[in-house]
Amino acid sequence: MADQLDIGVGLGHGLRLRGPVMVASGTFGYGFDAPLVDRSALGAIVTKGTTPRPRAGNAPTRIAETPSGMLNAIGLQNPGVEHVAREYAPIWASWEVPVIVNVAGDAIQDYVEVARRLDGVAGVAGLELNISCPNVVNGLQFGLDPRLAAELTMAVRRATELPLIVKLTPNVTDIVAVGRAVEAAGADAVSAINTYVGMAIDVRRRRPMLSRGSGGVSGPAIKPMALQAVWQLADELSIPVIGIGGITTPSDALEFLLAGAVAVQLGTVNYLRPESTREVLDGIAQYMHQHRFNNLRALPIRGVRAMAHA
Amino acid sequence: MIVAAAQAEVVERSTPMSGATELVVHHPPSASAVQPGQFFQLAVGAPHTILRRPYSAAWADPISGRLGFIFNVVGAGSAWLANLPEGHDVDLLGPLGRGFELDGRDPAIVVAGGLGVAVFPGVVRALVARGRRVTVLLGARSVAQLMRSDRFAGAEVKVATDDGSAGHHGSVVDLLLDQVGGLDIFGCGPTPMLQALMRAARRLDIPLSSIQVALETPMGCGIGTCLGCAAPGRAGGYLLTCQDGPCLRADRIDWDHMTDAFHG
Repeated sequence: MADQLDIGVGLGHGLRLRGPVMVASGTFGYGFDAPLVDRSALGAIVTKGTTPRPRAGNAPTRIAETPSGMLNAIGLQNPGVEHVAREYAPIWASWEVPVIVNVAGDAIQDYVEVARRLDGVAGVAGLELNISCPNVVNGLQFGLDPRLAAELTMAVRRATELPLIVKLTPNVTDIVAVGRAVEAAGADAVSAINTYVGMAIDVRRRRPMLSRGSGGVSGPAIKPMALQAVWQLADELSIPVIGIGGITTPSDALEFLLAGAVAVQLGTVNYLRPESTREVLDGIAQYMHQHRFNNLRALPIRGVRAMAHA
Repeated sequence: MIVAAAQAEVVERSTPMSGATELVVHHPPSASAVQPGQFFQLAVGAPHTILRRPYSAAWADPISGRLGFIFNVVGAGSAWLANLPEGHDVDLLGPLGRGFELDGRDPAIVVAGGLGVAVFPGVVRALVARGRRVTVLLGARSVAQLMRSDRFAGAEVKVATDDGSAGHHGSVVDLLLDQVGGLDIFGCGPTPMLQALMRAARRLDIPLSSIQVALETPMGCGIGTCLGCAAPGRAGGYLLTCQDGPCLRADRIDWDHMTDAFHG
């Protein structure tokens, strides 16, 4: 047995993670408010969606629980890129864990502005383009149309040398078409999926639970759909796919890895069990060890896929 | 400040007033660490639930290592917690947020509406222990929903009910009008009650900075990452109940835009 277990992951453009478990945007702030989390367990931290200027976010009520999941419509509350670059990045620079800044905006120019500001800033390991936020006006538009998604990706690609991940929305007919478009436009990786648009109504008070009416559904409720999206994307794209959607256990994460994801992001579960990233990482390592896979590339992705065609 | 996510044994369960459950757990580190007004996130095992439930510690006793939570059953999560048998464990994350500032000018006046009373047994105990003169104004729909006065030993207790079945017939905020020199007020209750409290304070020339409230909003993480528990700030933007509160000065809130939480 011998063999050193290597669970490192390459996301392209020189971005390497020590492990395949990341925390998803919006569930970990900017990495500072998580006293119970062992940061060394994390492959990477993906920050809250960051815009050129500060945003106050949506009026409450912003969240509601739904069956095996939750709805949110936070509305990209964030301090703006200047604050992030000046106050947060210098601290990240001293951390071992890479920090990937999630970028959001209303127009292509917003994304370009954030990317340009963060380009070359110590402490920023990469960008994740949020082209799929359902909770702000225009938030979703880029993620719905392959041509717009490509145009945005290309514009940001020109503005920065940072590794570029594009986060895809499941609220489309053909997620693979959007994935292909951003790959061709220069994305280094895609992450899938963002939340599903959904809503809940308070029957006692006869009004929507969220002040905006609708929001994004996350949590175990969306895991099967997320997994299928990743399964399709991993088959069709040649850039790495990062799996997101309702992962709460090592077994959930392994499903995504066996579906072809090179890494996973944990989101909603961070609210329930802040220590879950460590549990999932340990569970993956234990599985690899038990089944004698020396590294993540040794997982029999093709074999799993072949079973579906059998 | 956070002790950790930890398993605490349920040692007692009772009904402090109609519709409410009081869950007493044994967890010495939490009982020692919690400040009056702070809260914990309780994990729920009910099917299809996912988020923890944020409850203020009603009281804590560092000597016995016990602390209590008082809540109404409003859904699957609170029902599951209310049915936890003695001897079972509950998963606590906390203590979280900011508690009340306990020093101020006497008398301290506590204004509690409905289940807002749940945060106050420990607060009043701490105030009395500091030698402060305390008046507790308790309001409820009806006498059955009133917490017993003996939970506030050492304090003067006055009550109001919406239906007149005990004490003053009307709002608990009306009782404030009889108070002389109340410049250190602690409030918790449904948003409309707190809004009425602010209106009364303005009429009485009581600065809102002399009122502390314990906010209740829907909450996700409880530790400042999800930004779900926003409350409109008077200085613009939003405050977070879990970080800026739950206990904070009333002049920091934009009461005109404060929404009614799921109070239960």
